Amino acid sequence: MSASLATLVYAFIGLPLIAIVLLNLPNRKFAEKLCIGTGLFVCIVQMATAVIAVLLLIEFNKASMSFSQFWDMHVADDAAYFSVDFLSAVCLFCIGMVGAVSFAAAGSTVRDKILNYTNMMMVLLLGMNGIALVTDLFSVYVFLEISGIASFLLIALYRDPVGLEGAFKYLVMSAIASAFILLGSGLLFLEFGSLRFVVLEEMLQAGVYNNPPLVWLALFFLVAGFAIKSGNMPFHGWLPDAQTGAPSPVSIMLSGIVEQMSGTYATMRLIDIFLLNKFTVVNIGMMLLALLSIVLGAIAAVGQTDFKRTLAYSSISQIGYIVLGISCGTVLGYVGAVLHFFNHSTFKSTLFANAAAVKNQLHSTHYDDLGGLQKQMPIAAATSVIAGLSTAGLPPFAGFWSKLLIIIAVWQTQGAFVASVALLASIFTLAYFLRIQHKVFFGPEKQRPAVKEPKDGIAIASIALSVVTIGFGILFPVLLLALQTQGVL
Amino acid sequence: MLQPIASLLTMGSGMNLLYLLIVVPLLLSLLCLILPRTQETLKGLLFLLSIFFNLVLSLGLFVAQDTTVLIPWAGFGMNLAIRVYAFSRFAILAAGCAFFLVGLYSLCFIKGKSYQGGFICFYLLLMSFANGVFLANNLVMLLFFWEAIMLVVFGMLLLIKRPKPRTAVKAIILNAIADFLLLLGIAITYSLSGSLMMDVISGLPVEGAGVVGFLCMMLGAVGKAGAVPFHSWIPDAADDAPLPFMAILPGVLEKLLGIYLLFRVCVDFYALQPGSVMSQLVMWIGALTLFFGIAMALIQNDIKRMLAFSAVGQVGYMVLGIGTALPVGIVGAVFHMLNHAMYKSSLFLAAGAVEKATGTTDLRKIGGLGRRMPITGCSFLLAGFAFVGFPGFNAFFSKDLIFDAALQTNVIFYIIALLGVFGTAASFLKVMHAAFFGPLRLPQGIQREEVREVPLCMLLPMFILAAGCLLFGLFNRLPLGVIQPLLGERLAGVEYAGWPHSMLLVLISIVCLLLAVGNHILAYRYTGSALKSVDHFRYIPGVRQLYDAAEKHYLDPYNLFLSLVKIYALVCSCFDRMINWIYDVLLVKMVSFLATNFHDFSDGSTNRYLVWTFSGLGFLAVLFLLLI
Repeated sequence: MSASLATLVYAFIGLPLIAIVLLNLPNRKFAEKLCIGTGLFVCIVQMATAVIAVLLLIEFNKASMSFSQFWDMHVADDAAYFSVDFLSAVCLFCIGMVGAVSFAAAGSTVRDKILNYTNMMMVLLLGMNGIALVTDLFSVYVFLEISGIASFLLIALYRDPVGLEGAFKYLVMSAIASAFILLGSGLLFLEFGSLRFVVLEEMLQAGVYNNPPLVWLALFFLVAGFAIKSGNMPFHGWLPDAQTGAPSPVSIMLSGIVEQMSGTYATMRLIDIFLLNKFTVVNIGMMLLALLSIVLGAIAAVGQTDFKRTLAYSSISQIGYIVLGISCGTVLGYVGAVLHFFNHSTFKSTLFANAAAVKNQLHSTHYDDLGGLQKQMPIAAATSVIAGLSTAGLPPFAGFWSKLLIIIAVWQTQGAFVASVALLASIFTLAYFLRIQHKVFFGPEKQRPAVKEPKDGIAIASIALSVVTIGFGILFPVLLLALQTQGVL
Repeated sequence: MLQPIASLLTMGSGMNLLYLLIVVPLLLSLLCLILPRTQETLKGLLFLLSIFFNLVLSLGLFVAQDTTVLIPWAGFGMNLAIRVYAFSRFAILAAGCAFFLVGLYSLCFIKGKSYQGGFICFYLLLMSFANGVFLANNLVMLLFFWEAIMLVVFGMLLLIKRPKPRTAVKAIILNAIADFLLLLGIAITYSLSGSLMMDVISGLPVEGAGVVGFLCMMLGAVGKAGAVPFHSWIPDAADDAPLPFMAILPGVLEKLLGIYLLFRVCVDFYALQPGSVMSQLVMWIGALTLFFGIAMALIQNDIKRMLAFSAVGQVGYMVLGIGTALPVGIVGAVFHMLNHAMYKSSLFLAAGAVEKATGTTDLRKIGGLGRRMPITGCSFLLAGFAFVGFPGFNAFFSKDLIFDAALQTNVIFYIIALLGVFGTAASFLKVMHAAFFGPLRLPQGIQREEVREVPLCMLLPMFILAAGCLLFGLFNRLPLGVIQPLLGERLAGVEYAGWPHSMLLVLISIVCLLLAVGNHILAYRYTGSALKSVDHFRYIPGVRQLYDAAEKHYLDPYNLFLSLVKIYALVCSCFDRMINWIYDVLLVKMVSFLATNFHDFSDGSTNRYLVWTFSGLGFLAVLFLLLI
């Protein structure tokens, strides 16, 4: 067991570091040829390792596995620095998956900056893996900053005006968020003397804290900070600009995983620790933010005139669903949120990959320039339909099940009204998705130079993700049963 | 000679030959359906064979003993159950004779017409289903055949292609309403009695749920018979359907079926008490049907339409008779059903002969045909004597029994019935006079020589039927000997055959007839036209407006129903449009308004985004402060 554990850590933290070093040793021309392959290798190994981690957890029948340093496996569980449990395993898998899609898309879209892109992607992967693995709040902050800086550089990869503008906005907002998170962590440290999740959980459960207002203040800062990071309304301002301005593969990363890892995942951990039925106001605050994001995000998405921008607003809305699931504070809502986390990674990556393909061919994602692409790009059109229906939560696609679980959980905890609002917003989801489909792929063909479907990584990735979406949707009852026998549900 | 057939039919207890009455016409009909269009002669032969076979079987059945057959089928009390007893024997024989004679006639009538194949097919189907109704001993089985007949009616009305099959739709809607009521009634009856077997259900009290059950089943029965308010498709069908259809369905079968079921409901299933509210209600339905049908028949200028309206009117007598719930009335009603079947089909067939010869039955175009078509005229006159209730003819006796019962219940019904006698006589005299007497008038384009007597196969059935009217009048012991045992013990040994008991009633009826004759003669003298002989009733102030309204179909219950449907449809369509508007206009406008504003609001300014962020933070802070 110990040997395999070491492998896990090397795969998640060591591999990106090693990749950076190895890629920058040879001369630039040679390294550029290796970039895509290396990136894909790292990501696929990460996915495989995440699966192995899950299997190991099931094998040893443990909720989590901890290890303190790379070289020392014989440390008590609660003192460990890194730890893998089911939630982080799912997140790590998603990171690997979206990373692989991003690299697949980068093959044809990022040409001269490929080495810079790969380096920064490795740093981004490292940062996000760190967020998923660490066991204390301060380390979360550290890895958050790492992934944040990598994101800024990636958004502004080409140093073009839109990219720079997006990166700047993200930077400003992230600065506020970082300040808040640091402040919240500091206040918690002041109160508890430790930031380790295990310690915090124990002390909160025992009720050992003298200064409740301090805890409230800390929670306020943390919730607000993570809400900015995950792009909830009304803290979303940076998100559409950053995603539209970023190069296509970076958009895939940002929308597919970065927002979720830096904002939503941390929120899930908070909920885990703080047993939020004691702090109902956090639930209510998160629920309100989530509802605002769901409804306004969807409505705003309907009014957009740009493919990628529509998808960006759609991300706001969908992450709203995840936060809504978390805000229930029940196991069902939690499971629904985790599943929607995974589903959002799949379908949003598919859609952004298709947007990358479209942009690659037409050098634009504005609706006025698109339309009638169905004939020329059948794979993109078909996979968009699948991803869109999954987004809107139509059976039998995967998105249906996770949304269903979330809405049931919301109905149980927060009443029928909130659940109906969340459900009705799905109609808007369908509306903006149909609008995308209508404006981009269906309809009459426009006068333009001939375009064709690029037979490259994007198409393969789209198809693979669609297969995952459908397969997950069909096999969902099996998964649910497995979760139940494992005692998760 | 018939005894072997009878014993053959009722042999065995499980799978005996009774089903042949239903199955053979059904199979032959399907055979006719799949035979190619060119094989018309073969179809005709099959048809002839089938109606003859049916006649022989029904004759054989008539002398057979009582039999019940039960084949378990769908469970829940729904079985294929057949019962042969007095009424079904009688009804099947009556229907079988009518099927044979009208079938013989229609074979000549429809020769060469475009709907020949379809008519044969539907006619055989009708025969099969009618036998099914009379044999059924299970209410669900009865309902099945009942509904099947409705579909056959629908199909028959579609035979003559019209751009818009209004009559067929009207017929199916009215029949469907009546049949739905019957279904409802059967359900209630089942829940009351706990059985669907018709020989088990008996003497349910007409109270509580029984009132609803009785009412529904009764309306289903009179609806099939064509009483008010389910009558209005019949006069329209006179214009739209092939004439033999009119002779067999409104003329014979609908009365047989409707009155058969009404008899079963009022006498067997429910214990309808004389003088009770329900009895009065049934009598009022009868009286209204009688009055309305005959009043409308009076003013028709077309033989077929006059006969159709009077067919509606005559049902009134039968419903009135059964409604009294007195043995004398019931016997009279069933007897009248038989008589009506005979004379009305004969009259319809004669009208068909006129149509065959001249191409029309509109009395404004034709007249004085008696010399050119003496046998048709003779038979029309003979059947007409029965129709008006001339003493000595069969309908005279049956009407007299009904009058007796009506007078015993309430004098108002008797007066209405007498008005009916007057109206019937006046309308018949008008039509008879205009069509067969006086100078010859023909439609344009038809020469005098072209109009000649119809072939023997058409003359024979109508003449046999007309002669039968006289026969059953002179020897009324013959039919009454079959009808009276239907009532069993309720009859209490009274004998209705022979000359009526009360001379007074006979005298009053005769006076009514004489009044009608006198009216006709005087009016003819005065106006000089047989067609205008009743116009002085038509134009009485007040009555005239009613007639005008009726002519324009304002009083047609179907139209009233349709206008209700239209109002309902209007409301629904408004509602639907409102919903559509909400979805198609309001929601779209709202969303696009919101989306556009939102789009304008996110203008890419970092300052603005920061303001949002901080207002969001403020909101969160306030929330935290409020809720802690």
